[in-house]
Amino acid sequence: MPISAPEQLLTVEGLHAGYGKVEVLHGVSLHITAGELVALLGPNGAGKTTLLRAVSGLLPWTVGTAHFGDLSLRGTGPREAGRAGLVHVIEGHRVFNHSSVNDNLLLAGFDVPRRERLARVEEALEYFPEIAAKRHQLGGSLSGGQQQMLAVAQGLVRRPRLLMLDEPSAGLSPVLVDRVLSVLTQLRAGGTAVLLVEQLIEKALAVANRVYALAQGRIVLTADANEPNLPHRLEQAYFGQDATTLIDV
Amino acid sequence: MFSSIIASGLAMGAVYALIGITYNTMFATSRVMSFTAGQLGMLGGVFGSLLMLRLGLPLVLALPLTLLMCAMVGVLTEFVAVRPVLKSLDQHLYVLTTLAFALLIQQLTAIEWSTEPQAFPRLLNIGSGVWDEKYWLPVATCAVTITALEFLYHRTLVGRAFLAVAEDNFAARALGLPERTLRVASYALAGAVGALAGFSGGQLLLAFFANGPLLNFYGFIPVALGGLGNNRGAIIGGLALGLFQQAANFTVGGIFSSVAVFILFIVVLLVAPQGLFGAPASRRV
Amino acid sequence: MAMGERVLSAPSDDLRRTRLGGLARVLPFLAILVLAMLVPLTGNDYWALIATRAAIYWILVSGLNLIVGFAGQLAIGYVALFAVGSYTASVLAAGNVLPPVPPFAALGVAGVVGALVGVVVGLPALRLRTFYFAMTTLGFATIVTQVALGWQSVTGGGIGLSGPSLPAPFDTAWGLYGLCLGLAAICTWLTANLARSRFGRALVATRDADVAAEASGIAKPALLVSVFLFAGAVAGIAGGLFASLQTYITPDAFTFDLSLLFFIAVLIGGRGSILGPLLGTVLLTLLPEVAASLAAWSTFVYAALLLVIVLVIPGGISSLLDFHNRRKLADNRVILPQLGALTELLATTRPAEGLELEGVVLSFGGVRAIDGLDLSVQPGQVHGLIGPNGSGKTTTLNVISGYFRPQQGRLALGGTNLPAGLPVLRAARGVCRTFQTPRIIGEASVLENVMVGGTITGQASFIEAMLSLPRSLRDERAIRKTARLALRAVGLHGLESVRADRLQHSELRFLEIARGLMLHPALLLLDEPAAGLSAEEIKRLGGLIKAISQQGVGVLLVEHHADLIFDICDQITVLNLGKVLARGTPADIRVHKEVVSAYLGA
Repeated sequence: MPISAPEQLLTVEGLHAGYGKVEVLHGVSLHITAGELVALLGPNGAGKTTLLRAVSGLLPWTVGTAHFGDLSLRGTGPREAGRAGLVHVIEGHRVFNHSSVNDNLLLAGFDVPRRERLARVEEALEYFPEIAAKRHQLGGSLSGGQQQMLAVAQGLVRRPRLLMLDEPSAGLSPVLVDRVLSVLTQLRAGGTAVLLVEQLIEKALAVANRVYALAQGRIVLTADANEPNLPHRLEQAYFGQDATTLIDV
Repeated sequence: MFSSIIASGLAMGAVYALIGITYNTMFATSRVMSFTAGQLGMLGGVFGSLLMLRLGLPLVLALPLTLLMCAMVGVLTEFVAVRPVLKSLDQHLYVLTTLAFALLIQQLTAIEWSTEPQAFPRLLNIGSGVWDEKYWLPVATCAVTITALEFLYHRTLVGRAFLAVAEDNFAARALGLPERTLRVASYALAGAVGALAGFSGGQLLLAFFANGPLLNFYGFIPVALGGLGNNRGAIIGGLALGLFQQAANFTVGGIFSSVAVFILFIVVLLVAPQGLFGAPASRRV
Repeated sequence: MAMGERVLSAPSDDLRRTRLGGLARVLPFLAILVLAMLVPLTGNDYWALIATRAAIYWILVSGLNLIVGFAGQLAIGYVALFAVGSYTASVLAAGNVLPPVPPFAALGVAGVVGALVGVVVGLPALRLRTFYFAMTTLGFATIVTQVALGWQSVTGGGIGLSGPSLPAPFDTAWGLYGLCLGLAAICTWLTANLARSRFGRALVATRDADVAAEASGIAKPALLVSVFLFAGAVAGIAGGLFASLQTYITPDAFTFDLSLLFFIAVLIGGRGSILGPLLGTVLLTLLPEVAASLAAWSTFVYAALLLVIVLVIPGGISSLLDFHNRRKLADNRVILPQLGALTELLATTRPAEGLELEGVVLSFGGVRAIDGLDLSVQPGQVHGLIGPNGSGKTTTLNVISGYFRPQQGRLALGGTNLPAGLPVLRAARGVCRTFQTPRIIGEASVLENVMVGGTITGQASFIEAMLSLPRSLRDERAIRKTARLALRAVGLHGLESVRADRLQHSELRFLEIARGLMLHPALLLLDEPAAGLSAEEIKRLGGLIKAISQQGVGVLLVEHHADLIFDICDQITVLNLGKVLARGTPADIRVHKEVVSAYLGA
């Protein structure tokens, strides 16, 4: 396995994936190092969600390679990937509506011994006092923002080394988006790497240290988050080179 | 007459409700309605008779063995008839595979056991008349089963994991829940519930290979009435069906009670397609 | 069997090819008929019994095949209708309830009763998921047996009663065989005619692509009721004939095993085929005879066969016989839309009708997916509908095409209201659409898939189609001709006879457009047509869409590919959270600050 630096956490090379006859990803390569907070940006339909699903094992694929540390991710399911520390919080804050907040979190620790599971739930709830107060309410009774927090907390119960978040901002008010993203900064400070899929460029750039842009199934741009003129370059990357007339923001 | 209608109606209703729960238990984790539900009930009676009357085992051994054997049939169903077609649920191939598997079970029973109804032993030898154990045993079993299931689903982590898989399979997988193992476990559980239906109702239904299709149909009606996946609805629907059927049996006679039940079934399906306690249909587009 | 007429009715443009094709199609049936007519030469009454039984079973299965093989409805308890027909004919002929009726009249009544019962048992199929219908037919089978056993005054209970004895020349073994064989041949002819008509294609469409069928204006309930009537009638008649053959019937004659035989015959034969199920029926009837030791195990063997077929060869015999579709397709094929064909296709004048949406509101639960939307699509223009995920674009499309019923607001086309929530009425009003995931009939040919789009242009009735009367043949010629033109227009003309599931994804997108063009729509709704296409294909798609609009069709285009949108749209509406964020020409939208923000999240 070609590891250039020992701290390389996720290595994806030439990944092709899709649904049935439709190939969505046409050879994607991507690297994440321990302790990074990487934003994966891109327009609708670019393949961001597909990429996360392929990496976490929710979507099988055959062409290309992906490794998490020493673990080859080809044919690996979300369960094994999660055990190794690769945790995927899927889009749309899909928590279990008919289970309580507490049960939702306990389920995330299904494999863990009971004592440890309870400890982890408390630990995850410390990040989100808003939902700790509602731990006996049903998941379905929470607001969208609280469900998103619960979904992230579920991810934390699984003790990620790399946490992949799919559009945590979707359907949330700006205040709540900031709230969720602030937790990511905290996590990064604690040594957890994060791969954040976002449509809100500004918000993502504010917390990330590195950026990939995906358009039509290919990585079209990779940059440090603090590089100048990044929003403009992203627009060009999204809309193709014909769109040079597009305004400056 | 009134008390015998109530006694036999509740007893048959409890058996139907248990088969309904068998359907629901398999459906919850796999979205598959399996034709083996009724066969599991039939096997509960046949295994009970086999173990106790032919092999002379005592109840304390025969009951767990029956449950175990039916649970194994449940697991086999999952492997042979459900798992291979789960990828194309929308093509409804499961209807064919589970039907085929159910018929294999039924024919094997007919050939290896008997094509005639065989006696089923008295289990506790308690009660007589309308208080005979053959009437109250199914009702008691049904009550114990639903209590145990409610405990499982709402008080244990495994039970919550079942509910989670039932509610959102994809999210459950993403969360690292062992979805396949849980599905196999739910088929084993369904096997045991079906076995209880046949075992507790054995003195009414006897150990007869042809009970399968009958239980399949009458056990499905509570599900249609109560809504797919709704166990409490299945119990209410099952008891209502049992009482209705026995009342019709005693008043207008056997043939017309079957016809009445069938018409009731079609009317309910057309008027309330989601069942009386069911959830609305999912989006198609 | 007697399908010779088909050949004469071939369209004149490629007469020879169709003649050869027609001959190849009819040949296997003729061969079976000839073999069947040779059976009396054995002079063996036992063979007469078996062959008559096979013919009777096929009379029933020919109808069941339309339900199971074509419409995809899993009717597993059809023995019940067989029993109903048997008892009706026997009871009427014996006169133990009413005065005796002549045997042929009794057979006719058995057919009528079978048809009525067939519809009643089929009712749940019109509204409910597959399993419910399977269960209903199974329940019905259970109940018919119970009634036959219990209603002793009429059915004779377990003792039974004698079947109708037919007059000469049908009172001998070979006479009855001749009658049954003749009826079987007629049933084959009727169902083969239907299968190749717009009704046959519509049935398969409701099976494999019901949403697309609905959008093409195919009313599933009416179609299924016709098929249930026919299948019930032939099952009833078959039952009556069976009673004559047996001379004496008891409930034991109608076990579930027989139902299984009927059902599996269709599946072994293969869905959507007439020849396959015919061979399946003959095979399954002969099987226990040639392997007598298997008799006790026959149901077990049938069940095992069913399991194996479903898991291993879901296509059945007919897929094994389908050599044509095993030939490799060219890898380097390209989609080349022909604008000349498009002009010809859309040459018929139709009034220019614009779409208007006013104040449309649609909530799911508490969430407003569409929140007071006004939208107007002019005839002859391409109107782009864009916005971030979850902004309500596809939902809007679904409101327009009738799948969702908005809580408030008004929809109108050409100034006349479009009824909300009735997708099946849209096609007739000239509203056609494509889908985000192409909804096609994988097992049908490309041409047949496109022809589905023209189903409602036909004039001939179900019965005319069965009898292959001139009006039905005219319909078929017209629909076929339009479909060929539509395929040329979108650039798929080389692939007419290929099974649609062998096409590439991009080709399916163009196929859906061709299907949508069949009715010369006033409004064409395209849901992400460029998704999954290569850059070159997107360019051709853009040219095609533009050309369609230039023929006067209004196009509403939901798309993510910004370059395609900016390239071909005359007007663009941008949605965000169910509301209009901006509208205008591409030039306006490109410089609209809020749009850029919503799109880029900057």
